[in-house]
Amino acid sequence: MSSNNNGREVILSIKHVDISFDTGRKKKFVAVKDANFDIYKGETFALVGESGSGKTTLGRAILRINPCSAGEIEFEGKRISGKISREEDRNVVRNIQMIFQDPAASLNERATIEYCVSEGLYNFHLYKDEADRIAKVDKALQDVGLLPEHKSRYPHEFSGGQRQRVGIARAMIMDPKFIVADEPISALDVSIRAQVLNLMNKLKAEKNLTYLFIAHDLSVVRFIADRIAVIHLGEIVEIADSETLFQYPLHPYTISLLSAVPMPDPVVERDRHAIVYDPSKLDQSGEKRTMKEIRPGHFVYATTKEFAEYEEKLAEMEKELTREQN
Amino acid sequence: MENESKNMNDLFTFAEFDEMESEHIAAPRYSYWKSVFRTFFRNKFTVAVAVLLLFILIFALIQPMHSGYSPIITPNINNADMKFLKPSAEHIFGTDHVGNEVFDAVWAGARNSIIISFTCTIINMVVGILVGAVWGFSKKMDKWMIEVYNVIANVPFLLLAMILCYVLGAGMKSLIITMTCTEWIFVAYFIRTQVMIIRDREYNMASKCLGTRTGTMIVKNILPYLISVIMTYVSRQIPSLISYEVFLSYMGLGLGTTNASLGRSISMYTSYMNGYPHLFWIPVGVLALISISLYIVGQRLADAADPRTHM
Amino acid sequence: MEEKRNVILSAKDIEVKFRVRDNYLTAIRNVSLDLYEGETFAIVGESGSGKSVFTKTFTGMLESNGTISNGSVMFHGKDLTKLKTDKDWEGIRGAKISTIFQDPMTSLNPIRTIGSQITEVIEKHQGVSKGEAKKQAIEIMERVGIPNAAGRFDEYPFQYSGGMRQRIVIAIALSCHPEILICDEPTTALDVTIQAQIIALIRDLQKELGFTTVYITHDLGVVANVADRVGVMYGGQIIEYGTVEEIFFEPCHPYTWALLSSLPQLGVKGQELAYITGTPPSLYNKIKGDAFAPRNQHALKIDFVEEPPFFQVSDTHYAKTWLLDPRAPKLEKPEAIQNLHEKIKKMTDKGGSFHVEQ
Repeated sequence: MSSNNNGREVILSIKHVDISFDTGRKKKFVAVKDANFDIYKGETFALVGESGSGKTTLGRAILRINPCSAGEIEFEGKRISGKISREEDRNVVRNIQMIFQDPAASLNERATIEYCVSEGLYNFHLYKDEADRIAKVDKALQDVGLLPEHKSRYPHEFSGGQRQRVGIARAMIMDPKFIVADEPISALDVSIRAQVLNLMNKLKAEKNLTYLFIAHDLSVVRFIADRIAVIHLGEIVEIADSETLFQYPLHPYTISLLSAVPMPDPVVERDRHAIVYDPSKLDQSGEKRTMKEIRPGHFVYATTKEFAEYEEKLAEMEKELTREQN
Repeated sequence: MENESKNMNDLFTFAEFDEMESEHIAAPRYSYWKSVFRTFFRNKFTVAVAVLLLFILIFALIQPMHSGYSPIITPNINNADMKFLKPSAEHIFGTDHVGNEVFDAVWAGARNSIIISFTCTIINMVVGILVGAVWGFSKKMDKWMIEVYNVIANVPFLLLAMILCYVLGAGMKSLIITMTCTEWIFVAYFIRTQVMIIRDREYNMASKCLGTRTGTMIVKNILPYLISVIMTYVSRQIPSLISYEVFLSYMGLGLGTTNASLGRSISMYTSYMNGYPHLFWIPVGVLALISISLYIVGQRLADAADPRTHM
Repeated sequence: MEEKRNVILSAKDIEVKFRVRDNYLTAIRNVSLDLYEGETFAIVGESGSGKSVFTKTFTGMLESNGTISNGSVMFHGKDLTKLKTDKDWEGIRGAKISTIFQDPMTSLNPIRTIGSQITEVIEKHQGVSKGEAKKQAIEIMERVGIPNAAGRFDEYPFQYSGGMRQRIVIAIALSCHPEILICDEPTTALDVTIQAQIIALIRDLQKELGFTTVYITHDLGVVANVADRVGVMYGGQIIEYGTVEEIFFEPCHPYTWALLSSLPQLGVKGQELAYITGTPPSLYNKIKGDAFAPRNQHALKIDFVEEPPFFQVSDTHYAKTWLLDPRAPKLEKPEAIQNLHEKIKKMTDKGGSFHVEQ
C-alpha cells in the first residue's frame, strides 16, 4: 500500500473494509467506511478516535467478532475475514489475540485465575500434561508481574490493574504474533496505566509481537505507538509515523484532537484553547475522498482541493521547522 | 536519651522497598460455596425454617411407611366411636369420616405431593436448562424455537390435564407426565432470556477469541451465573407444582381415589367443615406450611447464591 | 491573588465511616479544608481515595450506611454535618450548593423532557410561575451552548448527545444560582474534544456568575486547566495542598511526585514510564503511619510508625510527609518531573508534539 516499506514485512492488511450493522430499519448503520491500511511486523500501530468512531468495531472485526460487510482483512497474506475454513479460523485464534478494555467485565468472575489464564491452553491442548500446564500458567503470571500464588483466587479479589494484567497473561500464554489491544488502559487508574504500558512494551520486545493499539488518548499514543491512524465517524482521516503526525498534523480533525489534549502545566494550559472540528469548513464539492499519500508514509483523507491545501500547509510547516533548527 | 535520639535518627533513614510485596493479597481466599452457606446460615430465621423444612420432609417420607396408610384401607369404617374424633393426645390430628387417623392421611398425602413436585421439578429444570441454554446461545435456533414456544405455551394447562387424565388414567405416573409435558418449555424460555442477557458480555467475547466452544462456554461461563436465578425459579416451582397437584386431586383428576393425597383429603373433608372444621383446616395448614417453608428456604438460598451478597 | 478573600465553606477534622456488613470502613480520615469565594479548587486522587465521599458531606448525600463520625462543615454560620432530614437541607442542597456528576445519562430522568427537568428545579427553588420558569430555562440552555434551545426544550435526554446532556446537567445545577458548584468527574465519560468544551464552559460561567467551583478528578491535565488551588487525596486524607503552580512545579509529597511522573506526556519513547506499584490501602483497618508508605520507594522508616503532620512549605502550600521534617534526608523530586514547565513548554511550542496553531 505504501511506497515506503523500508523492506518491512506486512503482517496485517486492512483492505477497503466496510462494517455496517442492521438496525432493523431500512438504512444500515455504517460503523466503518473504506478502512485501508497495513500494519508491519513488530510495530505498535495505534488507531485513535473518539467514541462512535468505529475503532473498537474495526479491532473486533480482525478477531472475527464482527463481520465485514465489504472489503477484506488479510493476516500474513491470507484472508481472515468472511467465510473461512475451520482450520483457518483456528489459525486466527492461535495467532491473533485481544486485550479488552474493561478488566472487570472481561474476566469470568466465577472462574479461578488459573482457569481464566488456561482457557486457551485447554481449547487447543497446548500442554503436555498437568504439570506442564501449571508451569505455563505460573510463567505467564510471573511475566506480567503477578505471583503464582494468585492462581487459585477469583478475579474480584484483585485490583483493576492486576485484573488487566491477568487479561494480558491470558492473551500472552497463547504465544500470539499479533495482539489487538482495545483501550487497555482507559478503565484503569492513572498511576496504574504506566505499569500496564511498560509491561506491554516489555512483552512486545521479548516476544517480537505486533500491536494494534486502540485508544482515544493522544498522549498515551505518542508514548507507545510507532505509527498512528486517526479515525473519525468511521472514516480514517490521517495515517503517519508517530513523530510525523505530531509534528505535521494535517487533517483538521487531527489538529482539533491534538488541541484538546490537556497538558499538565497550569501556565501552558492558560494559553491553550481547544479547536473545535468543523466539518463544514472542509471542501463541500461532493468529490469522493480517498487516502492520498502526501509524503512517504504520511497519508491524509482528502479531496483534490483539500490535498492541495494540505500540501501548501505542509511545505510551510517544513520550512518553519528547518528554519527553527538552523 | 542517647538511645532515643539514635532511634529517632534511625527512623529518618530510608526503608527497604520490595516491589513484589504490594502484589500480595492479604485477604483470605474466597470460596464461592463456603460464602453461599455462610450467608445462608447467618440469618437465624432462615436456619429455623430450614430445620423445620428438613423435619417435615424427613417426616413426610418416613411416617407413611410406618403407618401404612391408604385411603382405601379403612379398618374403622364401621366403628362409630373412631369417627370424627377431635384432635387429642391419642389422635394427634383427630380422625376422619371413615375412622382413619387424619395424622396418617395428611402425612401420606404430603409425601406424595412432595415426591411428585420434586420429581417434576427435577425433570422440568434439567430439560428446560439444557434446551434453554442452547436456545439462548444459538441465534438460528431462536428463530424457530420461538414459534414452538408460542404454540406450546398457549395450550391451556387444565384442559390438557383433564385430557391426559382421561387418556392415561389417574395415578402418580400420569400426574408426573401431565405436569412435565408442557412445563419444561417455560423453564427453557426463562433460561434462554437469561442466557441472552449474559451471552454478549465481554468475558464471553474473550472466551470466543480464545477459541472456546459453545458447550464449554455454556457450562463454564453461563451456568455459574445462573445458579441464583435457577434457585429462585425452583423455590417457586416446587410450591407451585404442589398447588397444581393438590388442585388436580381436589378435582378428582390427579392421584385418583386410591392414592393418598392432600388434595383428595381436602376435597373429601370439605363437606364436613361445618361440624368438624379440624378436618379441613389441618390438611390445609400442613399444605401451607410445606409450601411456605419451601419457598422461604429456596429464596434465601437463591439470595445467598448471588455473589453480590457475599462480603 | 493578594486580596484577602472570604472563606465560603470551612470543613474541619472531618471523619466519615461506612458500615459494611459488620465492619466499619473509614473513608475519610481527618480532613480539613477552607474554600475561598470565587476560586476553583481541584481535588485529585484515584478511586478509593475518598474525594467523592468528602464532597458529599457538603450536600448531605452520603449513602445511608455512611456517617460523619467527627468534624464540622461550616457554611453561612450553619454546621452542615448537623443537618439530617431532607427538610433541613432545603434551600442549601441544589440551591446554594449544587453537584454535577460523571454520567449525564443517569443524572437525567430519561422519561421526562429536558425542559421540564430544568423548570422543575427553577419552580421549586424560586417559586416563580410556569411561564417565567420556562423563560429562564431557555435562557440558561442558551447560556450553556445548546443550539436552538427553544426548539429542543421538549425533547428527551436520549435525543441529546453525551456532551449536550452534560451541558443540560450543568444548566440544571446552575439554574438556581448556587454559591458552590461541585463537579464530580464531569468529563471522565466524555470524549476529549467534548471535555475541552465542557471545562471551558464551566470556566466561562464561573467568571460570569461568580460561583465557587470544586472539581473532583483524577486527570492532572484537567486540573492544570481549571484549578486555582489543588488538594491531593490519598487513603482518605488530603496529603498535600497548595496553589496549582506549587503543586505542579514544586510538589513535596512522594505520592504527588508519583502521580506527576506517571503522566504519559512525560514518557520518553523506548524508556519505561514511572509508575506506582501495588494498590491503595484497605480502609477497613486502622492505618499506622503514612498510608502511602508501602507503595513509596522513598519511604522512611518513620513513615511506617507515625503519621506525618502537615509541614508548611509556604503560606499556601502544605504537605503531609516526613520528608519535609528537618531531620529527614534531603531528597530531590524524580528526574521525570524536574523542569516540568520547560518540558511541557517545549512540547507545546512550535515544533513540539502538541503544538497547535492557536
